[in-house]
Amino acid sequence: MEQSVLEQFENLCTQEALPACQSHCPLQVDGRALASLTAEGKIDEARKNLERNMPLAAISGRVCEGPCREHCLRTALDSGVNIPLLELCIVQEGRPVKPFPLPGTNKTIAVVGSGLSGLVAAYGLAMKGHKPVILTMGRPGGKLWDLSRRLMPAEVIEDGLQTLKNIKVEFLDVKTFDRADLDELTRERGGVFLAPDDPLFDFSWLPPESLVADRVTRSSNLNEKIFLGPDRHEKTFLEAVSAGKKAALSLDRLFQGVNPATAREKEMTGPTRLRVDLGGREPIKEMEPKEPTAPDKDEAKAEAARCLRCACLACLPPCPLLRGRKGYPKKYAREFYNNIITAFGIRHSNRHINSCTECGLCAQLCPNGANLGQFVAKAKIEMVKTSHMPVSAHEFALEDQVFSNSDEAAFIRLQPGSTTSAALFFPGCQLSGASPEGVLDLYRHLMAHLPGGVGLWAGCCGAPGRWSGRRRLTDKTVATMAEVWKKSGSPTVILACPSCARFFEAELPDIPILGLWPVLEKLALPERAVPLAEPLVVHDPCAARLDMESQTSLRRLMEKLGQALLEPPMSGRKTLCCGYGGLVSEAVPEMGRQFVQERLSGCQEPILAWCSVCRDRFRAEGRGALHPIDLLFPQAPPQAVMTEEPPGISAKREGRRFFKIKALTDIFGEAVEETKTMGLNVDVPGSVLRDMESRRILMTDVMAVLENAAKNGPSFINQETGRRLANLRPRQVTYWVEYDERQDGSILVHRAWCHRMETPGAPGERKESPASEEGFARTGGRV
Amino acid sequence: MAHAFSKAGPEGWSCGKCGRKLEPVSVNVEYMGSSFFVELPGCPDCGSILIDSELAEGKMLEVEKLLEDK
Repeated sequence: MEQSVLEQFENLCTQEALPACQSHCPLQVDGRALASLTAEGKIDEARKNLERNMPLAAISGRVCEGPCREHCLRTALDSGVNIPLLELCIVQEGRPVKPFPLPGTNKTIAVVGSGLSGLVAAYGLAMKGHKPVILTMGRPGGKLWDLSRRLMPAEVIEDGLQTLKNIKVEFLDVKTFDRADLDELTRERGGVFLAPDDPLFDFSWLPPESLVADRVTRSSNLNEKIFLGPDRHEKTFLEAVSAGKKAALSLDRLFQGVNPATAREKEMTGPTRLRVDLGGREPIKEMEPKEPTAPDKDEAKAEAARCLRCACLACLPPCPLLRGRKGYPKKYAREFYNNIITAFGIRHSNRHINSCTECGLCAQLCPNGANLGQFVAKAKIEMVKTSHMPVSAHEFALEDQVFSNSDEAAFIRLQPGSTTSAALFFPGCQLSGASPEGVLDLYRHLMAHLPGGVGLWAGCCGAPGRWSGRRRLTDKTVATMAEVWKKSGSPTVILACPSCARFFEAELPDIPILGLWPVLEKLALPERAVPLAEPLVVHDPCAARLDMESQTSLRRLMEKLGQALLEPPMSGRKTLCCGYGGLVSEAVPEMGRQFVQERLSGCQEPILAWCSVCRDRFRAEGRGALHPIDLLFPQAPPQAVMTEEPPGISAKREGRRFFKIKALTDIFGEAVEETKTMGLNVDVPGSVLRDMESRRILMTDVMAVLENAAKNGPSFINQETGRRLANLRPRQVTYWVEYDERQDGSILVHRAWCHRMETPGAPGERKESPASEEGFARTGGRV
Repeated sequence: MAHAFSKAGPEGWSCGKCGRKLEPVSVNVEYMGSSFFVELPGCPDCGSILIDSELAEGKMLEVEKLLEDK
């Protein structure tokens, strides 16, 4: 994966952008962090944080005018957080940080004037190891001495001057300073800083335009070695501090041979990209300290508590993946990227990458539309390409796809009795597997009402392959589908499944598609259609979050039926995923459950889900759920169906087989050959079957093991209990079945389990699976 | 890794072919291109290895996942 893919994504997620207070502070003081630390009573830590950005904080922290306040988002509610008040408390109560200058250089700099900008410039230069000399005319400190002694006690100024002396700043008292002096200093010194904020120095002999500095570097047009303090328009103390800080950095750059102007963007003040939702925030009255020049810790704490802790995090609350790991999309994307480029060792983020449902909700909530799912999709393709996608993660779903597109389940037919069909109905593998009879009735309804004929196309669109990052399998599936469709006369395809619809849009854009609900809405209601007496919560599948046409049609169709609907808290564009998206429930089942529970937690009533996977996942959690076809083409009273245990993986496979046989025999009048089995009489209790389902063991897997054991004998026999144990490795998984042979010759299965690790001697063909074929060599090793 | 799996087999099982009681057998197991020797319960004659559900879904699954993430 190109790094630019990461960078593009990073640019969209603004969570790391500065809070407004910091982006508008000429010193980049992190007001949000100061407020957090102060509110927690961590004044010493707050001081440390302040000193990182504010030089000579003991002095500067008392004179900051707080230009941040007018940009604080709280101004929309009441008034900006009083950061200067916090700074006052922090520099008075917090433990000072001892300065540690870098090792010395031989660069001497003349700082002309000892106002605050001069002191700060000298501080910054000395901290970098250079040798500044401050030229003074009498008492150093400039206008600091004009402040009230309450705010700025003499000893604070004296301490500040002593701090400078401690880090080897020299002071040199001069009587006059003129052009000749400046020229001499410029010649002899590494650099010069002119500090016009010291009223004892008179620079009127310089043309006024020469005293206007570059806003970022503080360079002058006098000489490249001369940098400037505040000009006559920069009257605040903070501007003086900022000028001294910036000039010190520029001079240091100059000494290192680096252009002082490069990469200084971060020092520019201006609006931030950080987006903050103020919804639900209440006004809080600003704290007024008893002694304005010396707020105590409690007063500072109270003011700090007003800080909104500006953050975007708009996408986090409804997403179990995003909110679960103390991060945000930008951070996760970086983590996922690093996981992909890891050369050696364990790839710890595999599980997290496979925990994203790619449902696109984050993009709907993000002010910039950042879609972590799209990034994850690219990451998965890369993982497969480099043979680092865990093989087991999506294996069952891929095998299911291959099965659904095999002769056992797939077929395509034009409407019986016609040589052309205006449309083809593609119900999708999940719905036809879970509700085969309903889908057949639905097809009969379409045939009866749609002009021009409608054919039937059974199979899997290929969404699992795409979700699992298997491009080769996806391309192969797409090519086959395109060919089959063309041979059928290139008709419009009617899609029942929203995930199929997204797949067709993305992978088969030449095929014209129609959603099932907009089609059904225009037809007469099916004769046997029946509403439920109670209202249903309508759940829009995540794949259809942007399919407004289908959302509207489905609702209108239900209204026509007389079915009362309720809207859940997150619906339509902002609907929640059931956890199957991205095959999360396959790869990380516990994460899949968190998603489904998130959906269910927002409503209590039974659900109408127009995706059969969603419906079945809700039912598996014990919530009553129906698909619209359960109401439109009922096979049993919907009230009873609603709470039934959903079909499992074995039942759905059986359903797809049944669907094909039933369609071919009943509708298309074809003879179908029955598949031959050994005719074993096998009894699998419900609890054993449920256990098998959670391990993704199919009834056909168990039957294969038992048939092999019937031919070759069981692998093990328990002498104490008489139970049999048989194993088989038909592909890259070994299946074990523990069973009893009853007197009547029938078999009672007690348990079944499986493992992927290969041990010698297990019988079986060891066929490659679609998951291991792509990205992994036949040996199981990486290609 | 050799100590990762328990060698004590489940009680009462004997080989379906040879009828021998199972004993710890040293075998080479393999996954994702990594292989290593472990002692597992097996038939001392034909070498058939028994992996019980506890091992398959416990330690073995753990190692499988680890190798998949490597």
